[in-house]
Amino acid sequence: MSIRLLQNFKGGRALVVTKHAGSETTLETTLAKLGVATEYCEIVGGRAQIDINSLQPERDILFVDGDLEGAVAIEVDPASRLPQVPVIGLVGVEAPSRLKALVNLGATSFLRKPVHGGAVYTSLFMGINQFLLRSEMHERLQDLEARRRGRRAVLRAVILLMRENRVDEDTAYSELRRESMRARQNLELYCEELLNRRAKPPDKAGRATSITLRDGKKQAM
Amino acid sequence: MARKQFRIGVMFSTTGSYSVVARSMLNGALLAFREIEEAGGISIQPVVVNPSGDLSRYRALSLELLSSGIRHVVGCYTSSSRKEVIPCFEKHDGLLWYPSHYEGFESSDNVIYTGAAPNQHVLPLVDYLASRIGSRAFCVGSNYIWAWENNRIFREALTARGGTVLAERYLSVGDTEFDQVITAILDARPNFVFNNLIGTSAYAFFRTFRAACRARGINQAAEIPVASCTLSEPELPEIGADAVDGHLSSSVYFSSLDSPENVAFIRAYAAAFPAGPVSSADAEASYIAVKLLAAALEQAGTDDARTVRAAVANQSFVAPQGEVRVDPQTFHAWLTPRIGRSAADGQFEILLEARQPIAPDPYLVQSSPRFASAMRSPLLRVV
Repeated sequence: MSIRLLQNFKGGRALVVTKHAGSETTLETTLAKLGVATEYCEIVGGRAQIDINSLQPERDILFVDGDLEGAVAIEVDPASRLPQVPVIGLVGVEAPSRLKALVNLGATSFLRKPVHGGAVYTSLFMGINQFLLRSEMHERLQDLEARRRGRRAVLRAVILLMRENRVDEDTAYSELRRESMRARQNLELYCEELLNRRAKPPDKAGRATSITLRDGKKQAM
Repeated sequence: MARKQFRIGVMFSTTGSYSVVARSMLNGALLAFREIEEAGGISIQPVVVNPSGDLSRYRALSLELLSSGIRHVVGCYTSSSRKEVIPCFEKHDGLLWYPSHYEGFESSDNVIYTGAAPNQHVLPLVDYLASRIGSRAFCVGSNYIWAWENNRIFREALTARGGTVLAERYLSVGDTEFDQVITAILDARPNFVFNNLIGTSAYAFFRTFRAACRARGINQAAEIPVASCTLSEPELPEIGADAVDGHLSSSVYFSSLDSPENVAFIRAYAAAFPAGPVSSADAEASYIAVKLLAAALEQAGTDDARTVRAAVANQSFVAPQGEVRVDPQTFHAWLTPRIGRSAADGQFEILLEARQPIAPDPYLVQSSPRFASAMRSPLLRVV
């Protein structure tokens, strides 16, 4: 697998969540050299004011100061453990609990405070590309999971063809594979749809779809 | 009133495999010191050291200079030497005035870069080669960061224009065994060779490649020209009369420039250093570095690194190559790209030049594709 690495960060926006906005001047000036504009998020009542819905993964990068406990609450996908945009942790105190909090926010790269100019490009490069890599791997994982679930349909479709056409397993499988490619579908989806088409229509006579209760609520069968 | 005096370090490898260029750089710096002294403003005492091309000596000598109270050093030619000494300058809060073209992707707060950034040398060369020579390249280089990175930038820019890099070959600095590489080039028959060899390796390559082409009845300069971002005037005599002509070079300065400032510079340089080596782009960059340093010292009134750095931002003057100014964001210089072709008389004929100085873009923010080229780099390099 080869991922296309992002190497030019022009047009990016760094949202920096830190207690002393502007104190990390090296971060801001180095980001400017890399074509990335810096904005500082206001912290009200211990919570960073970020409009999560307006974040754009192809533009925004969140820099979160690990020394601010609980200042950022962003939604992390429980399956991929990734936030909506790349997160880079600013590390002051190297306590495991603070590092863990940054990892839980989905940080894919870190920068030690005070920020050293020579470390910013590396951190940005790693943070964004690890985010892209993990997002792509998560998508692939989801795809593979869906196909794994579909293997049962493949098995059933092979047996169906063996019985109907009186062919061996390899011939039945080859036939299904050929037809799935012709239909431009993956094998699992094609088999699932084949089985649905071949399934007997439900016998409507004498079967109720639901029971209506007196108070109008429905009860599942 | 007593003149303010400053001690300034000057560190070039005036012996070793790339000493020819380094000696011209030292000359460029010394000429500037002399002119500053004659002008009667501040007084500068240069302290000259020679690491002899030995990487470990660069760090030791930098420490020695900085420990003696010197805050500014003009020096380094290779990127590996610059990267070696930067931690010393950061630790001791000194300023390195780096006067050579380089591969970019760096902007230390403790370095002032007066040589060309990649958007001022390799990208104009790709434009020229792709539009006028051809699209199939064979890359050779010395095996260190300059050639690796410059080839990467070259490959991405050429690929974006629909071109192809047929192969990349690297040899150790100072290596002169080229038979295998030249056979590979002649088998591949590229439209041109992109050369990132330095010093004696480069001179031997030019000679051997020309001879190999001649033996096969190939007019090398016309059929497989060699293009470089490093080749400069003092190196042409080192190549030898037999193979000196027809090589392309991308540079912000050629000594054949016809401007009053350059004519005066060449005359003063030749009078000061009759034994040579002749001036070069890197000699001019060293001259510029010292001139800018002196102007900043004069303005700052102190040699404190941060104050001088602040003073050099936006400094400008008319250099031999034309107007030069320091970009206050990146502390690289605005310079004027040019493409030249070497001639038998040891000069470059200027084929193309930018209309005005262009802004430095060390990270290629304005000029590189958003995503890296999808082509995988080879896992092993032939050394």
